[in-house]
Amino acid sequence: MWQRLRGHQGRNLWFLVFVAPFFVGLTIFVYVPVVWSAYLSFFEARNTIKPTRFVGLENYSYLLHDKLFLNSLAVFVVFAAFIVPLTYVCSLALALLLDNVRWGQAFFRSVFFIPASVSYVVAAIVWRLAFFNNARFGLLNSLIRASGGESVSWLGGGNGLYWVALVSVRLWLQVGFYMILLIAGLQRIPQDTYEAAALDGATGWRKLRYITLPQLRPTSVAVIMLLLINAFQAFDEFYNMLGSIGSYPPYARPPLVHLYLISFGGGQQNLGVGGAGTMILAAIIVCFSLAQNWVLGREERRERKALR
Amino acid sequence: MKATSILRYALLVVLSAFFLLPFYVIVRNAFSTQAHITSPRWQWLPNVHDLSNLTSLLANDSIGIGRAIVNSAATAALQTALTVVVSLMAGYALARWRHRLARVLLGLTVFTLMVPASMTFVPMFIMTAQFGWVDTYRGIVIPAAFSAFATYLFRQFFLDFPVELEDAALVDGCSPWGVFWRIVVPNSTGIIAAVGTIVLMGAWNAFLWPSLVGRDESRTLQVALSQFMTSQGVRLPELFMGTLITVVPMLIVFLFLQRYLVRGFTTSGLR
Amino acid sequence: MINRRSLLLSGGGLAAAATLAACGDNNPLDQPSGSASPSTGEKPALTQWYHEYGEAGVKEAVERYASEYADASVKVQWTPGEYMQILGAALLTNEAPDVFEYEQGGSLDMIRGGQLADLTEIIAPVRDQFNQPVIERFTFQDKIYAIPQTIDMQLLYYRKSLLEAKGIQPPTTFDELVAAAQAVKSDDIGGFFAGNDSGVGVLGTIFIWASGHDQLNADRTEAAFLTNEFYEALVAYREFVKSGAVVSGASNEWYGPEAFVNGEAAFQWGGLWSLPAIQEAHGDDFGVLAFPAIGAKGRPVVPFGAFGACVNAKGKNVAAATDFVKWLWIDQEDKQIDFSTAYGTHIPAKDALAAKTEQFKSGPGADAARYVAENGFSNDIMWSGPMGEAYNAAVNNVIVGGQDPVDAFAGFADLAKQELAKLAG
Repeated sequence: MWQRLRGHQGRNLWFLVFVAPFFVGLTIFVYVPVVWSAYLSFFEARNTIKPTRFVGLENYSYLLHDKLFLNSLAVFVVFAAFIVPLTYVCSLALALLLDNVRWGQAFFRSVFFIPASVSYVVAAIVWRLAFFNNARFGLLNSLIRASGGESVSWLGGGNGLYWVALVSVRLWLQVGFYMILLIAGLQRIPQDTYEAAALDGATGWRKLRYITLPQLRPTSVAVIMLLLINAFQAFDEFYNMLGSIGSYPPYARPPLVHLYLISFGGGQQNLGVGGAGTMILAAIIVCFSLAQNWVLGREERRERKALR
Repeated sequence: MKATSILRYALLVVLSAFFLLPFYVIVRNAFSTQAHITSPRWQWLPNVHDLSNLTSLLANDSIGIGRAIVNSAATAALQTALTVVVSLMAGYALARWRHRLARVLLGLTVFTLMVPASMTFVPMFIMTAQFGWVDTYRGIVIPAAFSAFATYLFRQFFLDFPVELEDAALVDGCSPWGVFWRIVVPNSTGIIAAVGTIVLMGAWNAFLWPSLVGRDESRTLQVALSQFMTSQGVRLPELFMGTLITVVPMLIVFLFLQRYLVRGFTTSGLR
Repeated sequence: MINRRSLLLSGGGLAAAATLAACGDNNPLDQPSGSASPSTGEKPALTQWYHEYGEAGVKEAVERYASEYADASVKVQWTPGEYMQILGAALLTNEAPDVFEYEQGGSLDMIRGGQLADLTEIIAPVRDQFNQPVIERFTFQDKIYAIPQTIDMQLLYYRKSLLEAKGIQPPTTFDELVAAAQAVKSDDIGGFFAGNDSGVGVLGTIFIWASGHDQLNADRTEAAFLTNEFYEALVAYREFVKSGAVVSGASNEWYGPEAFVNGEAAFQWGGLWSLPAIQEAHGDDFGVLAFPAIGAKGRPVVPFGAFGACVNAKGKNVAAATDFVKWLWIDQEDKQIDFSTAYGTHIPAKDALAAKTEQFKSGPGADAARYVAENGFSNDIMWSGPMGEAYNAAVNNVIVGGQDPVDAFAGFADLAKQELAKLAG
């Protein structure tokens, strides 16, 4: 029995040595907090971590009736609907654009990539105070005024223009990084596939449509998945672009910002409702990824069948 | 052919100008006076031709930019090192062992990939505080160091890693531990650099967690800048000088590391 | 529980206190921090937290106060940034301060959560010396959990010369304010400024008071302002914004003096703490007003608030911490005056000290002090975070989003009822 557990030459024990640091850390800093959040979510827990009043599902029903929380989910959907396709298309376009460039390829690639080294906080500062400043000295307002227009309130709400700022800042920050991932993906496409296609007379769009995109599919799926997860976690640029100490406007409030304000906001510290929010968000993500796995798995199985 | 190529370069140049515009604005503001920045007409050229904004920034006690640079560099480096080592080992094991426990742990890793740790910051903070780690490097680094994403990337890489090399060494009497450090790691520098870059990026730019845990002793650059922007009367030249200081070191690191990133992902692929 | 956006000292306000760059050079008392205190090893060690005051010298001053205390060694922690969040998180742990300041002397949730030590006993003998509206606000079910440190307020600044040039009197009603702002507005200067969100955030609860209502009914069981007059007030402000006389983009927020100082607006809603900077820039060419009455039942309003010194009930040395708070904020009157008036303009919490202070004897300072006494309002202690959030969202939807006020506040009455029932326990 012991022999079997240890495995050949103690291989199974070595497995534990390799994975223990990671999973112990994950347990302490991810799973325990998740379970704790779940526990708190069933209690009235304002300004305390040792709640005594059990409230059942009250916190959940409160959140599901909280207009601001429901709005925050809508904000995520809108944000993701903009940022995910836009980033994917732009990074793919840049990757393809650079693919056929001989002279200066490294230079241009670097130019597109270096925004990835800038933090959301720094970018939010530049966007908020220089580009999209509501005041007349904001770059965009200066340009509008110079061409005879009136200053625009970019971040003041009421007109949806804050989306321009929020989407463009994230696009600028991340497009270079995903471009690199896609360039790597392009380089993994065997050159002879293209050569064979060239012999068949395929060029331009047809090449893209029938060779590049299908071959790039695993990379594309991973990129889109990453983009979605990151959009779901949006916090830094929203908070730094629209918030001012302890307060945040009711619009353009993604889920994480709303939960942060509930759990740690200056005005309230409602850990029960915060925990319930965490559970709801986690449930959404799990359902979503299960659905995605199922769809992808089905397609893979179909492809395998087709190959046989 | 020639026309499309010229068009391509024209497009690249225009795009480059847009990508570099924010950097230009940072530099312009870092070398301007407050009045110059807020003047009703946009001034394209800076008007401060010395380092006076830098000296006044460094002298500004309430931002503590010098301290913040040290803190940011130290925490980012520590977190990167820790994450890479821990995830490299776990990713290797999850790729090589296929028994039931390994499959369960792999499933857990993929699940964790989906549930962002940032959603559980409240209990995470309370635990960190129970450990007495508030306002320490440990508090900023360790709770954030267990990355399912890094582990997953390493595992994907090791699936394609030739087992034959390892088997030969095992036959020679090496333990799996010895094989890992002597054979596997030296042949994985590309992916290590690639994943390391991603982790470094996240660690250097982290905001939410360090803003909760970091205080006087361990406040990072991002937190210091954010506080400067919202909590003080904004002195724009100093603020932008601060952002310039934040941006430059990472910029250099990135220019240096980006080819590893391409190479790392080309060899391992992202699935 | 206190909603920072609508509270006088609200988020911005504090920070704002922080923006008093102009106070930078009036600090003759500057001393190196952590000046030596005799270490006897016997003395209890305490930590005391402050948020970041922007006026130069405050940090050194509070460190000096702490170092002069003989019965304990007190370490001051200065906390820039999100003070409320950081403090709130720390209070859940063992890393919490023994003594800390908090807006309006602590929130209901903090009291209920058992985080605040009861200080009723030490303040009882001197209760009458403090500003009465502040003491009332600090009292919950006959108990007081914090000692008021200093009083802050918001008020309306206006440029006298610009009004005189058009032959206009300082506005006493909202309609007059609208007319005046439109009259003085030109290409060079905007009309009225109250923040880059068009004032929706900071003016939030003022619409309740200025249209003649209270936030809650006398029993604190439901919202007391959901009337037509209130809705009309919101619509009136929306029209004001639409008219173009409200500046929505300035070089700083409402809590900084910049917009008024730089001549970006003829009227600015701001904080008393900006007074020195504005005085320096415009000399006598400005005056201060309360927010004018809106509608027939309206009344002028200034929101006020005070930071209170609290003792952490779960701290290691509650008795020593309480003694220290009593020493500093009740006994040491010279330090209290120094704290309120040597670095920026705040009103001392004790009436007698305010009366002694030069800044409040004449001119705008005297007006401001009078407004607090006559037109002062502050958030009800049961005006909770969730209520404040919902209220702000609805106000924003009406004024910025153009929604009908009745629709925007449709669910508010129920929400308030439920929340108040929950708070009542």
